Amino acid sequence: MDHKVTATMPGLVARVVVNVGEKVAEGQEVAVINCMKTEISVKADKPGAVKEILVKEWDEMQVGDPMVVLEI
Amino acid sequence: MKKVLIANRGEIVLRVIRAARELGLKTVAVYSDADENAMHVREADEAYHIGKSPPPMSYLNIANILDAVKRSGADAVHPGYGFLSENADFAKAVVESGTTWVGPSPQVLHSIESKSYCRKLGRKLGVPITPGTADNVDDVETIVRLFRELGPPLLLKLDKGGGGKGIQPICTEDQIVPVFESSKSIGKMAFGSPECYVEKRIANPRHIEVQCLGDNEGNYVALGERECSVQRKYQKVVEEGPSPVVSVEDRQKLQSWAVSILREMGYNNAGTVEFLRDENGNFYFMEVNARIQVEHPVTEMITGMDLVKTQLLIAMGERLGIRQEDVNIRGNAIELRIYAEDPFTFVPSPGTVTEIAFPRLSNGVRLDHALEPGLKVSPFYDPMLAKLIVHAADRRGAIELMKESLRAFRIEGVKTTIPLGLLIMESDAFVEGSFTTDTLAGLIEAATTR
Repeated sequence: MDHKVTATMPGLVARVVVNVGEKVAEGQEVAVINCMKTEISVKADKPGAVKEILVKEWDEMQVGDPMVVLEI
Repeated sequence: MKKVLIANRGEIVLRVIRAARELGLKTVAVYSDADENAMHVREADEAYHIGKSPPPMSYLNIANILDAVKRSGADAVHPGYGFLSENADFAKAVVESGTTWVGPSPQVLHSIESKSYCRKLGRKLGVPITPGTADNVDDVETIVRLFRELGPPLLLKLDKGGGGKGIQPICTEDQIVPVFESSKSIGKMAFGSPECYVEKRIANPRHIEVQCLGDNEGNYVALGERECSVQRKYQKVVEEGPSPVVSVEDRQKLQSWAVSILREMGYNNAGTVEFLRDENGNFYFMEVNARIQVEHPVTEMITGMDLVKTQLLIAMGERLGIRQEDVNIRGNAIELRIYAEDPFTFVPSPGTVTEIAFPRLSNGVRLDHALEPGLKVSPFYDPMLAKLIVHAADRRGAIELMKESLRAFRIEGVKTTIPLGLLIMESDAFVEGSFTTDTLAGLIEAATTR
């Protein structure tokens, strides 16, 4: 089943720290959002394997925008 | 000079517009998608769109800004602070396009990108620098020798680093190799240079800086100091002048050091020379901030000078109209930066400002801001919303005036650090003047666990 990890703060994508195929644990950082020059960690809310990365550096994020798809 | 383009956003653009108008200059604003309806765009005589909201696509995009310079016919560029204000490549491109750069020359900006250049200059002039290396280090043995000589903790810093990034402590000898390797890698990735140097970490430092002005003929004045020891996340929250810990003798010494450094650099326009003060009252030269700073109003209040107007006059080629002996520091000024953040956790709070109640402004109360109801506080930029500056005959009076102004100041729709400002003004550490750069964290912990 697919599960989307979404932005928890608005801002710009600073970086994605996982690769497609990688296994991630619940609570593991998958991406970082830069909100007002502060780096906010976006964590997997479920364990799974990274199926697809939907964002790239400097993409504009709103709260709830999907960032990474996990196969759970 | 007839028309100045201000390559920035928010309150500093409004500040430069005020100064430019007093000199009869036309003003040009630039803006990103997010700032289309911003106050700085409406207040300028003309405005040009320079790209999308992310800074690299607009306010940090040299080509797009140069294009706006060309389209507007501006004959000068004021860079404000932050963004490209200290970028030597940008300054060079501006100058090469035949446009006046309101700031120090591109050569000076290029030199001071290197911290070790500044450290070597300090050594040469007999201005103390923190114990450590003046040159960059390229081998582990040198760091090991210094570790044994100076004792922990040491700091490994990037030669071209900034904003507190890439500073790593070394507390034990076995940390040297991994910290050195990781610093070089961070430096290469983030700043394009792996060079680093080592210095002794100063315990409980106080941040003291000297505001200076230099014209194009080599005349300099120092305008007293500002203290900026109330910090969070390496960012300043409160600045004041004069500092409660700087004596008349200290001030003379710091001012003469600052001017000798700038003179040796061939520095022109406004600049700030930064020092740290240790617990024993020793001062160490840290770096030069080659721009107008956020906290420049503190100096304007205590000297009665208009620093931004003077910047423009210097850029026009005018000689400094003031001599050192004419500088007269009167009373005490305090500035509070108000951020759109949770006041105690510092989590950013973007959103829309719905309602504002401003404090009563007077000769002693100044507010530099671009606030208005409906303002969208964007997640893309710095969280600073406003700077509240107060001036009174003495420090106690200034603190009281700040408290009164803060109690009347209300911003709805986003969280702000106004409550933090009150907490600081009411704290014993601030009232006594014993604040160091490490004090704020403890103060917040005590307030939130109470």
